[in-house]
Amino acid sequence: MAQSQDNTHEPAAGRAPLIVGGYDFRSLTEAVAVPVERKTPIGWWCFFLPSVALLGLFGVSIGWLFWEGTGIWGLNNPVSWGFAIVNFVFWVGIGHAGTLISAILFLFRQKWRTSINRAAEAMTIFAVMCAMVFPGIHVGRVWVAYWMFPLPNQMDMWPNFRSPLIWDVFAVSIYGTVSLMFWYVGLIPDLATIRDRAKTRIRKLAYGAFALGWRGSHRNWLHYERAYLMLAGLATPLVLSVHSVVSMDFATAQLPGWHTTIFPPYFVAGAIFSGFAMVMTLMLICRVLFRMENIITMRHLENMAKIMLLTGCMVGYAYAIEMFIAWYSGNPYEQFAFANRALGPYAWAYWIMVSCNVITPQLFWFKKMRNHIGWLFISSILINIGMWFERFVIVASSLHRDFLPASWDYYQATFWDFASLIGSFGLFFTMFCLFARFLPMVATAEVKTVLPEADPHQGEELVRVVPAGSDPDALAQAAPAGGGGA
Amino acid sequence: MSHGPRIVHLDQLVIRPGSGWARLPLIAAAVGVVFTVVSVVLAMGSEENAKQFFHSWLVAVIFFLGIGLGCLFFVLIQHAAKAGWGVVVRRLAENLACTVPLLAVLFVPVAALGMYDLFHWTHADAVAHDRLLQGKQPWLNESGFRIRAAVYFAVWTALALFFRNASRRQDESGDEALSHRMARFSPVAVALFAVTLTFAGFDWLMSLEPHWYSTMFGVYFFAGTIVSALAALIVLTLLLESAGYFRGVITGEHLHDLGKLLFAFTVFWAYIAFSQFFLIWYANIPEETNWFLSRLHGTPENPASWRAATMLLAIGHFAIPFFFLMPRTIKRNRRLLMVGALWMLAMHLWDVFWLVMPNLHREMTFSLLDVTSLLGVGGLFAATAGRLLSRGSLVPSRDPRLVESLAFENI
Amino acid sequence: MGLMHLDVPEASGGYSHYGVLARFRTAKALYRACEAVRDAGYSKWDALTPFPVHGLEKAMGLKPSRLPFLVLATGLTGAGLGFGLQSWVHIMAYPLVISGKPLFTWPAFVPVTFELGVLGAALGAVLGMFALNKLPTYHHPLFRSENFARVTDDGLFIAIESWDPKYDDQATADFLSGLGAVEVERVPIEDPRDDEGAA
Repeated sequence: MAQSQDNTHEPAAGRAPLIVGGYDFRSLTEAVAVPVERKTPIGWWCFFLPSVALLGLFGVSIGWLFWEGTGIWGLNNPVSWGFAIVNFVFWVGIGHAGTLISAILFLFRQKWRTSINRAAEAMTIFAVMCAMVFPGIHVGRVWVAYWMFPLPNQMDMWPNFRSPLIWDVFAVSIYGTVSLMFWYVGLIPDLATIRDRAKTRIRKLAYGAFALGWRGSHRNWLHYERAYLMLAGLATPLVLSVHSVVSMDFATAQLPGWHTTIFPPYFVAGAIFSGFAMVMTLMLICRVLFRMENIITMRHLENMAKIMLLTGCMVGYAYAIEMFIAWYSGNPYEQFAFANRALGPYAWAYWIMVSCNVITPQLFWFKKMRNHIGWLFISSILINIGMWFERFVIVASSLHRDFLPASWDYYQATFWDFASLIGSFGLFFTMFCLFARFLPMVATAEVKTVLPEADPHQGEELVRVVPAGSDPDALAQAAPAGGGGA
Repeated sequence: MSHGPRIVHLDQLVIRPGSGWARLPLIAAAVGVVFTVVSVVLAMGSEENAKQFFHSWLVAVIFFLGIGLGCLFFVLIQHAAKAGWGVVVRRLAENLACTVPLLAVLFVPVAALGMYDLFHWTHADAVAHDRLLQGKQPWLNESGFRIRAAVYFAVWTALALFFRNASRRQDESGDEALSHRMARFSPVAVALFAVTLTFAGFDWLMSLEPHWYSTMFGVYFFAGTIVSALAALIVLTLLLESAGYFRGVITGEHLHDLGKLLFAFTVFWAYIAFSQFFLIWYANIPEETNWFLSRLHGTPENPASWRAATMLLAIGHFAIPFFFLMPRTIKRNRRLLMVGALWMLAMHLWDVFWLVMPNLHREMTFSLLDVTSLLGVGGLFAATAGRLLSRGSLVPSRDPRLVESLAFENI
Repeated sequence: MGLMHLDVPEASGGYSHYGVLARFRTAKALYRACEAVRDAGYSKWDALTPFPVHGLEKAMGLKPSRLPFLVLATGLTGAGLGFGLQSWVHIMAYPLVISGKPLFTWPAFVPVTFELGVLGAALGAVLGMFALNKLPTYHHPLFRSENFARVTDDGLFIAIESWDPKYDDQATADFLSGLGAVEVERVPIEDPRDDEGAA
């Protein structure tokens, strides 16, 4: 493979290459397909087995919860919502970067997304899976979890559609469904690639079944691209709505620290922020493990760092505005809630949150830091920690000192709280390892479109500019009228 | 489809002397001055009229300022994203953004004379009996308000001038370093813009009802501002095109993109507006609902009064444009896009009116001063914009990405 | 029988093979060739590529996809059903006053209405795309060409079907060669009893 080259400097005219290393269509197919086809490498087991072990821990902690009840957690009277909701919000948030990359960046024509969107969308689906576990188990009586769905029943009861928790059920499950469809639609051409390269009959049948007989017909591409565009157009408001709905779990309440109008966009920004940090962590590992440094290039990492800087600043803006308005409101309860957040018993958590989420990404103002692999990795971990703490701060610090000082208490997480948190990472990484082993990690068909030779007008001059005053008769020659492209 | 390059002549991209556009500054200035004088004369009629004048004037200034600031944001984002497609319309936005200094001048009457009539928190007797307002004194006081307003305008003016001047210098020199410089500075500029715009929204609009507060308000102000700026950009582009400029420059592709952005920000505005309303409606806390109650219930005698205005906002600023601007055929059709953009401009004006006027009228009322103020400020705005447009090229003629922008095709 | 999905005219027995398959080296060559095939008046033909070639539908003279109308319809249906369900539940099926609000609290119905609207539209987009593309189509004569496996790798193809009125065995193959095809082959028609082409 050719030497890696720097593609992080965008020239003033023209564009830096999105992928480097001199790939053509064939070598690109090879680079993505081989990891799926070769023998399972040892390195994969090194990630997979610990993940499965954590998944086991998750299973045990859920099993013990079912047996014993929510008493095994550190919940107490004012803090009646603990790790379960924190983890739920955290995991839903992680998922949002995948949709941002696959849908929003698609609508903004950010072609660099093509190298990372497949893995990011997979991450979305697995994160939503992790998230959906928690509302299911945290109710205590899991055997009636189906009450959350509008199913006709012999009691003639219906869910309360005015409740934000029911909106969550709809928002998150539909988000999961749509993300899965979006991901699958994107996978079809690449599954066909694996099918056509398959050497064994089992492979050919397994991948072929899911490839649906795709044969790259342009009459199909026409509908396919339109469907993809519309899915992107639908996923964009959907992803905004999902974390907005999640924020409404808090914001529709009357509790100071929860009830504030900026919550919906602030949660969305935070979700994308944390999700990008997770994509960064995963991509930094995968690009080395699967030797894709020339496909997931420095430029991709730098662009992700820029988005983390942007969303980190948005989150910082929201923290600041919340503080300001809490003071400005003149409402003593608001003022107390925020003073308590920054200076009270959970101040340690608050300042972890601020330093990880607001201060850490500020280093991304400097190109040097955006191109520093080590710092990218460390900061991505720090940001994920910070974003988990953000939700912890919102939940615990707002609840633990309620309106009645006699009932004030301190929420102390137990072993089982931590076990379910860490265990959920087991589920996430197990799924991700399976994905990385059996499916093409990069959207090959999409990356091919960013190669220069994919452009049917490559090297053609489409527009010629006649500078002012260079040719006095220029106007007489009548340029084609406006609207040429319509 | 014919082969061979499309030829684009940059000669056509300057305002022709003697044309309608060249005369625009003079005519608009005359209209502006006349109606400003009429407004002032009307204002001096009575105490009531003075109050009405300052409210109407504030609506007009905020409306046109929104266009300028939204255009400034458009320019900043174009540079920050190193966008190619928008180069052909960027000069128009740069010029509109430079109307901000004019609006700073037009804001002076508000800050110098109108504060007592506009802002309840400037009434010393009211503050004396109001614990909440006393608590807000460190922020809500007249000198603080004026200093902050000066800072906001200074920041916006500096940003607008910097980006327009750098871009115009590039017209002469073609220096690529200028592109890099603007791109490097733009993210910082976005941060400055976000903070100043938020607090300007708090100061000038939210504090009209000083007991009310909403953390979302800055974002709400931002969303409406961008909608109006995009609509104004579309209108200006299409007007110039129909006057014979931009031949072969602006294509359906560019209009489609502008239309998409207008659609997107219309939806974004609705998302923010609904979220703000919804959370306050749902929690139903008296100190917050008050602001919406005065916009939903009006007076006991005429409860429907402001409610109709609110419904018009919900339907006209969201439901109708949502379906109208969705199909791509509309975004690529010049006449229909023009209708959509003009409609959104009108709706944004309605939004500003709806934010300000319940402060003055418990029942929705229109005044002659609303019209004269709008024509006064609008005339001066158009004169300034026209003057800026007539200086130099209508596109950044030597921007390194000009050809990319001209050849741009949508996905 | 097995050829229903190919839009073969009734008397399909008269066709000895599926058609001609030509491979082109670059997207540019394919684009030019498509323009030529379109201008030559062929109608039963297709371009087959590993990735969507930008703007190729223009060169092929294809009409834009009708999918958006379907998506709008299914989206509105989803949203309408969602709003209807919630209103029915709270006004008729299970009326309860909650937090002092009226039974018909339309703002509270917005989130679920929106989500179901998106679900409807997304299902419409995906299933509609499958239907318009006739997916899954596991059997297709083109899969009988060994060369054709490259269509998901680096192969850019044009296939002209033998039931095209303008089709002529030799002339069409020559025509494609003349357009710069690097390989031209005749693809046999599928035997419905033969499952070897399964993919």
